[in-house]
Amino acid sequence: MGRNVAIISVGYNGRFISKRPDINIPELIQPAVNNALGKTKLKPEHIDAYVVGNMHTFEGVNQPHLWASDHFNGSGKPVMRIATGGTTGASVYQAAYYHVASGMYDVVMAIGWEKQDEGDSQVGLMGILLPEAFSLFHFGPDTSSDRGIAGLGGGGSTGGAAFQAMSYLTRANAGIEHIDRVAALMRSNAAKNPYAHLQQPGCTEADIAGTPIISYPLRFGHTCPTSCGAIAMILVSEEKAKKFGLTDRVAWVKGLGSGTSDATTGNLIEGQITDPAEQQICKITAKKVYSMAGIKDPRKDIQVAEVYSGFSHQDLMWPERLGLFEEGMAPKILDKGGYAIDGELPINPSGGVTSTNAIGASAMVRVGEAALQVMGLAEGGHQVKRKIENAVAHGWGGLFQFVTITVLGKTPVKK
Amino acid sequence: MTQETRIIESTWDLTAYQFKIEADALSLFVKGLKDRKILGRKCGTCGTVYVPGPTYCRKCLIDIDQVVEVSQEGRLDAFTVSLADVRGKAVDNPFISCTVKLDGSDSFLMGVLEGWTDWRSVKEGMRVKVVWKDVTQGALADLSHFQLI
Ligand SMILES: [Zn+2]
Repeated sequence: MGRNVAIISVGYNGRFISKRPDINIPELIQPAVNNALGKTKLKPEHIDAYVVGNMHTFEGVNQPHLWASDHFNGSGKPVMRIATGGTTGASVYQAAYYHVASGMYDVVMAIGWEKQDEGDSQVGLMGILLPEAFSLFHFGPDTSSDRGIAGLGGGGSTGGAAFQAMSYLTRANAGIEHIDRVAALMRSNAAKNPYAHLQQPGCTEADIAGTPIISYPLRFGHTCPTSCGAIAMILVSEEKAKKFGLTDRVAWVKGLGSGTSDATTGNLIEGQITDPAEQQICKITAKKVYSMAGIKDPRKDIQVAEVYSGFSHQDLMWPERLGLFEEGMAPKILDKGGYAIDGELPINPSGGVTSTNAIGASAMVRVGEAALQVMGLAEGGHQVKRKIENAVAHGWGGLFQFVTITVLGKTPVKK
Repeated sequence: MTQETRIIESTWDLTAYQFKIEADALSLFVKGLKDRKILGRKCGTCGTVYVPGPTYCRKCLIDIDQVVEVSQEGRLDAFTVSLADVRGKAVDNPFISCTVKLDGSDSFLMGVLEGWTDWRSVKEGMRVKVVWKDVTQGALADLSHFQLI
């Protein structure tokens, strides 16, 4: 690891919502940038470099960073754009970290956004959502077939994710009611987060269970919305944090990493060997990150987690794969109240991705929310009251084969 | 909130895109279907059997050419029940798409599952068998579906 790096500020453009027809991409980003700067004494000229990102082509704009750079004060400065699908936000954050840790820059801003009302992200996500497309990726296009393995005809559903959900439930010996329960908790957590998109105060298991099944075991209430929104974070070196007098209310980056496995679904025509609920790569990456962060026992040393769950069963699966719970224990811990904001290990106090999903922002929102929890600055009643020494943030992308993990904490790792 | 966004009509010519796929893996598999055989490739080093079989082992990163035939029976791995269409409207005849690990294969195949009356009684781990089309012609569609045994 290079120099110590701290996150000193996290800013949002406002509440995430479905449609912002009144503004364009630069206008969506700018308020988040101003919000992040406004929480510090820093001026735009203090930022040495920018790392920015969104999901490529989802908004139909090819190089939005060129268009937007004037609006985040990036003109004349180094600007790097990164687009790695679902993990974009976390990749942007990790690159911003490397900018500072390497010693090349002292103050770097990371920006992630998505303006989904300007595109059709559902088309881009077919491989995850529809078994027809899942099958097409699996076997390649085969126009000769009517129905059969390569032409799963009729109906539409939550393909790859539904397979993963089914596999998870079998492994954990859990049922759809557990997915309903965790989905309800996320929507009611979201009601305590002024920036969250789908806020349902007091949302119950029955509310979620009342939504139609799309593809068993996933229902409408288990899926994420398409949101518009932006997040900006400022990362600085330890020296600058001291110089700015900002060492009390910061989140130190203690460990980070990313990992890749074979595509658990959808690698063209080559027999797939990996179960999408296995997530070996998440376990391997988590171990590396914890060791970098000096975390000996994640179950004791980590007090809050923000995991990237586009579908509610993943709110059960990821904490297990991150080593926060024993495998198969998440549903039981959820039932005992362990997931709640005042629980034993709060999972997604923000309401998570099933409540808010501006794709290119989402994986950074996980890091930003973990940072706010460490700083004690989460607004609107979703701050965990218990003392937080360490928080973990997670992101996934692709067809379940990419993972990014980071540990933030109150005290920096000693160099 | 004012509607200031302009909508611009345009088209996107997808014929400009070309996808290259490793044809050897699929052609071995598809040719086998004509003779009602399920063929894959096995790695001589780690023993992993891929169906369809790529010409290299993804674990060992070496070329592999050992062709193997796997069983036409196997285990129901994971599945999903389509109860609604793309627009969220309930469908009259739900169908199950599934992944199956045929005996002797380390990879899973996808397909439609039949032979059930109540989808609620379908469980992971059930035994299934391959059902062929009446006439097989060397196409993916030769493999009609998987049937619960
Ligand atoms: Zn091998």
